[in-house]
Amino acid sequence: MKLVGVCACTSGIAHTYMAKEKLVKAAEALGHEIHVETQGTIGTEDPLTPEQIAEADAVILAVDIKIDKSRFEGKRVMEVPTSVVLKASKQIINKIEESLN
Amino acid sequence: MKGKFTIAEIKKHLLTAISYLLPLIVASGLLIAIGNLTGGTNIASIDDLGSMTVPSAFTTLGSMGMGLIPAFIGGYIAYSVADRPGIAPGFLMGEIASFLGAGFLGGLIGGLLVGYIALAIETYLKVPKWAQALMPMMIIPLLSAMLGALIMFFVLGGPLTMFTAALTNFITGLDQSQKALYGFIIGWIGCLDYGGAISKVPNLICDGLMADGIYGPEGIKVLAAMVPPIGVTLGWLLSKAINKPIFKQTEEENIKIAFPMGICMISEGVIPIAMNDLIRTVISTSIGCGVCGAISFSMGVESMVPSGGVFVIPAMTNPLWAVVALLVGSCVTAVLLVLIKKRLTPEQMNDLDVPEDDEEAEVDLSGFSLS
Repeated sequence: MKLVGVCACTSGIAHTYMAKEKLVKAAEALGHEIHVETQGTIGTEDPLTPEQIAEADAVILAVDIKIDKSRFEGKRVMEVPTSVVLKASKQIINKIEESLN
Repeated sequence: MKGKFTIAEIKKHLLTAISYLLPLIVASGLLIAIGNLTGGTNIASIDDLGSMTVPSAFTTLGSMGMGLIPAFIGGYIAYSVADRPGIAPGFLMGEIASFLGAGFLGGLIGGLLVGYIALAIETYLKVPKWAQALMPMMIIPLLSAMLGALIMFFVLGGPLTMFTAALTNFITGLDQSQKALYGFIIGWIGCLDYGGAISKVPNLICDGLMADGIYGPEGIKVLAAMVPPIGVTLGWLLSKAINKPIFKQTEEENIKIAFPMGICMISEGVIPIAMNDLIRTVISTSIGCGVCGAISFSMGVESMVPSGGVFVIPAMTNPLWAVVALLVGSCVTAVLLVLIKKRLTPEQMNDLDVPEDDEEAEVDLSGFSLS
């Protein structure tokens, strides 16, 4: 399946990027395609394109803070804290896959 | 109404505000510290502009920045609750909090209050089509600010001011042994889960006290956060010195990463090491953090900068005691680790050749679902 994700933590310097790495690794290991945008203190990096969002089967939001979700209206979205992603990225992706089928 | 009124939601709003607030506090705190160190003073009145120097310019700007904290908290909490229409009334509530001398707590409560008012207006107030453009621009900010102002000035103002004053008096009135006790507790809880959900609570309280001009707890927060990584590193060196191997090779690799992160005040680097031997590691690091907190608070170490690791120690009050607190806390952690961790056999130590174990522990995900 195709996934997109956004990571954002409180201080925006550590967990954001650790969560992204976990998600990308887990998705690759499980054979899925994923694009992850980070919204750290520095601002948005690797922004998701409208095409990537349109093509995605589901959206993972690994966020501890408020982010703008208007881009994902009408999409299937799962929102989890970054700490859960750090512990269980594969399980999250598997759960999304189960829920989609 | 879009927003839910749960503890988890409110925590998220608070964390959002903190995320916007942190760069302001770091910059302002460092401005004050650099200005003060170079001989600057706060120029509070325009009449004294003639005596402005470069250091005083920094100190003065830093003080202005600190004064913005309640407004930032109020504004960005309300933004988190009610989106953009919440920002303006939220900032206004923060200004009321400053005026009341209710600082951080006032901004927090005012921001939540006005945010939910704005959200309720947005949800329940139906206006004719021609007036819809006026909703985010005028109606929501004005109405919510009016309601918020009435509640803040006439209902919450008195209790908020009293509570803040009582808290300030309580902390400034602590004697040295009481300070050591509270310092130990703050340091101990603040590092219990290495920057995770539990640590956030005392850290938030320290940030709040700093915004109200009490800088001691913030010193504990900054110093104690560095104890686990530095303590684990010292423990590793000590275990080498006395020839009692306690870390596996992969853990040694992790320590080499955790140490530079640690001196920048990111304690999370210790997590992969702690995970392998959770109880013994947490006992060692949390006691070290407690000792560090006790020394730093009782010896009057204060920090006006909420993050930055060892690099902000020179900007602290009593920097020498800060170094002592950090080192003693770290040594306590190191000695405890070497004492209570089990000696590893050479086979147990050598785990580098084993392919990386990617198995995750089972985590309960039932609370999360795909929308």
